Amino acid sequence: MLPVLTQAVRRRRTSLLWWSLGLAGVVGLLAVAYPTVRDNHELDRTFAGLPPGVQGLLGLGGQTTLTSPAGYLNSQFFANLLPVMLLVFAVGVTAWAISGDEAADTLELLLANPVSRARVAAERAGAVLLLLATLTAVSAAALIATAPAVGLDQGLPAGRLLAASVACALLALVYAAVAFAVGAATGSRPVAVATASALAVAGFVVQGLAQQVPALRPVQAASPWHWLLASDPLQAGLAWRSWVLPLAVTAVLVVLGTIRFQHRDLR
Amino acid sequence: MTATTAGPPATAAIATDRLTKRFGTVTAVSELSLEVQPGEIVGFLGPNGAGKTTTIRLLLGFLRPTSGRCTVLGAAPARDPAVRGRIGYLPGDFRMDPRMTGAELFAWFGQLRGGPNRARVDELVGRLGLDPSRPFHTLSKGNRQKVGLVQAFQHDPEVLLLDEPTSGLDPLVQREFLRLVREAAQGGAAVLFSSHVPPEVERVAARVAIIRAGRLVTTSSVEELLDRARHRLEFRFTDPPPAELFAHVPGVVEATVEGRSAMVAVDGPVVPALRAAIDGPGLLRVGSAGDDLEDLFVTLYDRQEVG
Repeated sequence: MLPVLTQAVRRRRTSLLWWSLGLAGVVGLLAVAYPTVRDNHELDRTFAGLPPGVQGLLGLGGQTTLTSPAGYLNSQFFANLLPVMLLVFAVGVTAWAISGDEAADTLELLLANPVSRARVAAERAGAVLLLLATLTAVSAAALIATAPAVGLDQGLPAGRLLAASVACALLALVYAAVAFAVGAATGSRPVAVATASALAVAGFVVQGLAQQVPALRPVQAASPWHWLLASDPLQAGLAWRSWVLPLAVTAVLVVLGTIRFQHRDLR
Repeated sequence: MTATTAGPPATAAIATDRLTKRFGTVTAVSELSLEVQPGEIVGFLGPNGAGKTTTIRLLLGFLRPTSGRCTVLGAAPARDPAVRGRIGYLPGDFRMDPRMTGAELFAWFGQLRGGPNRARVDELVGRLGLDPSRPFHTLSKGNRQKVGLVQAFQHDPEVLLLDEPTSGLDPLVQREFLRLVREAAQGGAAVLFSSHVPPEVERVAARVAIIRAGRLVTTSSVEELLDRARHRLEFRFTDPPPAELFAHVPGVVEATVEGRSAMVAVDGPVVPALRAAIDGPGLLRVGSAGDDLEDLFVTLYDRQEVG
């Protein structure tokens, strides 16, 4: 069953295991640290003094204070740590899927078999999706399991914790799709990683600056970071913008990359 | 049989027709027309960088021709992936996932090619003397090449595209490999066997195609080439022969006289050189160093156009 996908997942299983352990460890640390933060109301006054743009970047503002469960999880995890970790993992795995394998001279060996390039591209993209979904599930499960012990679940049912995790995974997915498309189209792993990373950083910077620089607002609307942070999935659930846009952009990028991949020379 | 004299092109297992590939301003393969029939082993010879690997990658659909066409078993591999299931391919520099074992690769490729063939894999592994349970990165160069050979032969393909297949193999394994190639051809497989070492090709191929700077210099039977090959003769006389004994003798390209012996290199028929030796001071012995294809290839590689 789907031998190309299966092999791609197997090849990454050790890496997935370490990432899972690392992410679960981070979640554990967050939980352990929460009681200290919860009782420190000095922090709320400090963070309330920050400009609204910076608060927005941290998933704070409005009624959401740093010491509340939602404010704590947003500012320490869902607005930065989790999306960045998922992004680094997904872009790394994706960059290997076509261009990294090609640079290692092992893609041609696979393509000497009776499999079309479209099928290899589709199964490898599916493998990335599966790996990212697994890592996200591990992280969400660790959080859902530890949150009640320290009161991080107050006002935050498991469904919301899951929704926020999925929203972060969708952000990572968009940038992974960039790496996939560029790698499939060019066959260059460095170019694929550089493009995805540059766009991810640019998207984050734009999201931060747009509050102060109105001229950036139209650009901000196109940033996956905006789709994630502006909708606050932890407190509001998954808005359509948080999942329709990332999935649509991902699909378009994967299809475009695959089309180019089908017609170019291998390197 | 050679393609030029054999039946209609439709029967060729491998066929290229004025195949051309340019990378920017560099022409890697130029107007190459070549056919390999089922059951035929063709040696594909040329110096490094002559375009052998590019031709093979075009045949597998990894590269798209700039102009011209190529087909394998009547199909264009680039447009028809199914045909690649009937091709066995050994790349010039065989590499795979370093942590995967040979056995895992054979099982995986078996699956991709329509069902694993355990018995055949076990047979090949045994004949080549490979330990399939070891991860690829722990294997020596020769054993890595064996993994490459097993995966190329494991599905009994109808076409074998072998890019410098003997590199890294010790002489015993090399012999076993050549036996495998012969068996495949006897079973009807068309084999294109690239090499820059003429002698190994001479041992299995009935026909050779020589490529130089992307162009096909010549295709002919090995026998015909041997007829044209430079021949080295050694003569011994009762008395020292005169230094100019072989001067101006037709076909003699090189002659050294040393004491009572003379070493002579001849292109083409040896009759004139033999006559000259008979006229020398009491011919005692005639020795032959055998046909030297290598010399011929060197000449062919160097020259712009031959035959």
